[in-house]
Amino acid sequence: MKGNRRRATNAIEVHFLTRTIFFGFLIGFAALFFVYIKNQQHSVGNESRQVEAELHEYTARNEALMANITKMTSRGYLQRKLDEGYIRLSAVRDSSLESTNPAVIAQPDGLLRTASRDTAEASRRVLSR
Amino acid sequence: MKGITGRIGVICALLVLIFTAFAWRLIYLQVLQHDYFSKLAAEKHESRKVIPAKRGRILDRNGEELAVNFPVRTITADGTHIQDPAALALLAAPYLDMKVEDLKAKFSTKRPYVVIKKGVAEEKAQAMVRAMDKARLHGLSLEEGAIRSYPNGEMLCHVLGFVDASGHGIDGIEKSLDEELAGQDGFRWIEHDRKGLEVVTYRGQEQLPEQGADVRLTIDMGLQAIVEDELEKKCREVHPAGAAAIFADPNTGEILAMASRPDFDPNKFNESQAEQRRNRVVTDMYEPGSVFKIVVASAALNEGIVNERTRIYCEDGLFHYGGKTIKDHHKAGEMNLGEILQYSSNIGSAKMSLMMKDQVYYDYVRAFGFGEKSGIPLQGEISGMVNPPRRWDGLTKTRMAFGQSVAVTPIQMIMAMASVANGGVLMKPRLILNRGEGSVAEPATSVRQVVKPETAKFIAAALQKVVSMQGTAPQAQIPGFNVAGKTGTAQKISPRGGYMEGRYTVSFAGFFPSDHPRLVGLVIVDDAKIGSEANYGGLVAAPVFREIGERAASYLGIARENSATTTIAQLSEKADTP
Repeated sequence: MKGNRRRATNAIEVHFLTRTIFFGFLIGFAALFFVYIKNQQHSVGNESRQVEAELHEYTARNEALMANITKMTSRGYLQRKLDEGYIRLSAVRDSSLESTNPAVIAQPDGLLRTASRDTAEASRRVLSR
Repeated sequence: MKGITGRIGVICALLVLIFTAFAWRLIYLQVLQHDYFSKLAAEKHESRKVIPAKRGRILDRNGEELAVNFPVRTITADGTHIQDPAALALLAAPYLDMKVEDLKAKFSTKRPYVVIKKGVAEEKAQAMVRAMDKARLHGLSLEEGAIRSYPNGEMLCHVLGFVDASGHGIDGIEKSLDEELAGQDGFRWIEHDRKGLEVVTYRGQEQLPEQGADVRLTIDMGLQAIVEDELEKKCREVHPAGAAAIFADPNTGEILAMASRPDFDPNKFNESQAEQRRNRVVTDMYEPGSVFKIVVASAALNEGIVNERTRIYCEDGLFHYGGKTIKDHHKAGEMNLGEILQYSSNIGSAKMSLMMKDQVYYDYVRAFGFGEKSGIPLQGEISGMVNPPRRWDGLTKTRMAFGQSVAVTPIQMIMAMASVANGGVLMKPRLILNRGEGSVAEPATSVRQVVKPETAKFIAAALQKVVSMQGTAPQAQIPGFNVAGKTGTAQKISPRGGYMEGRYTVSFAGFFPSDHPRLVGLVIVDDAKIGSEANYGGLVAAPVFREIGERAASYLGIARENSATTTIAQLSEKADTP
């Protein structure tokens, strides 16, 4: 009986168990990692959407401001302000005028550039005109 | 034992059946009905988002902005995502300037796309979205858009035109260059979550928009402002039915300024009348009167029928021809070609026309560009009216010689005068400098050589005398410059036939400096409300030309030809002297 009892004992196959648990964890970890990556992807997507929206908002605000600046510096607007007495024209003698390189407005990049005192360039422009 | 085994078998069989059913259902949904459910899901979560192209700007030759875009938003609602219409309406109302009840009614829908309001300012729209996020309300979204803005208001309105609510050009350059300005909208396929927000991860096919091109005109706004100002002053003074002025470079045909009255504000075009929106420079024809004498004089001289010494008997101011009488204001016996132009002799001009064969004379009229469209890229251009010789009666030829029985548009007239100024070449009027950054500038285009350079030179010299103290337009003199030009005073045609008593279309067309012309201009005043004794081209239109010319010369830095210091006041004194 003793011998029979010994034979009936089931040995724990540690290697098999370890391997199974290892692969189980590995698959589980991979699945969790996949979910994590997927979540990150969505999270980054949301962030990029928000950044895009902000960027768009700033661009649109900039465009609106540029349009307002254009309107408020237009000839028609300045003429109206002149007529209403908000601004006035003062006579300036020719001798008091300094030739400057005219401000380049309305560049494709939308930037306003101020006039510079580039006399050589100014002379060239006057001559070419 | 057997019973237990049987029961286990039954349970197993049931489980197999259940899982088989589930498996079959899965196959049915995922495989057999794949297309149907994919489509259903796509309809619910996918949409094609239009990325609007920005409309190109319109600039003057120096880059000054004439038409720009003002970004605005269109607010749309998705009824399937609105959970609390009342709360959303209460929140959105102040940002949209709408009544809460109206908004609530609009939000109480299950439709996925309802336009709530167009043209909402960017800042207001963004503030509303932030407030919605804070209150955790959903269902409203913003669409990109822009409204067209014309910062100069009425100035250059007829050239620029305007766009409709959907952004399509309706008139002017906005219409004729609509394709270039509009660009091409892009698109992006997107998926959105149950809150209606885009799931960026699942972005689909995308095509970026092709932005509209910036169009640069030949117009110089500095000169345009001068022209508008002087024309407006004259209109306030004489209250005409209409008026127009054009200034151009005679050597290239570039239109530098173009104004027409009455005018309108393209920002509020729907408040204007059709009459205000008409660009008289291209859509109206008129009998040019004596300005047209340059055609017969050029033709006769170019054909060798007359020369500078030929003297023509002008019948002492009364010429009976074809049963009618032609009169001259300046009664004279014989006059040469120069004097005929200087004193604007109708009889001399009529007699020159009679010296030419009908077809030859007609060919010259057509060669100067009359009776055909000039090709300027503006809407509604007409070709005027020049009848062929087969439709002439006995008087047509003589009438045409002094600008009757023929109808021209102002753009044709100025191009004809430009051809005299530039040595006899008819130029195509040029209004577009280039179409988009980096595009090749459109070259100046000559249509044809109308008369020989020496003919044009002689006519130009004769036209200088018109602007002398003895001519018909001393009021067109610009101190420091030799000005050449011709006046025109034509009675208005009655719709019932014949001419209207005491109602005139007066004009002055000229150029300066006469030796090397830089500017050619035409001023027309239609039906001024002043007495007939003062309603002449030389008295009404010529002073406008002078004022514009004087300011333009200073603005453009045109060097003075002579040291003449005659002032306008001195000119007036001389003109008043008997």
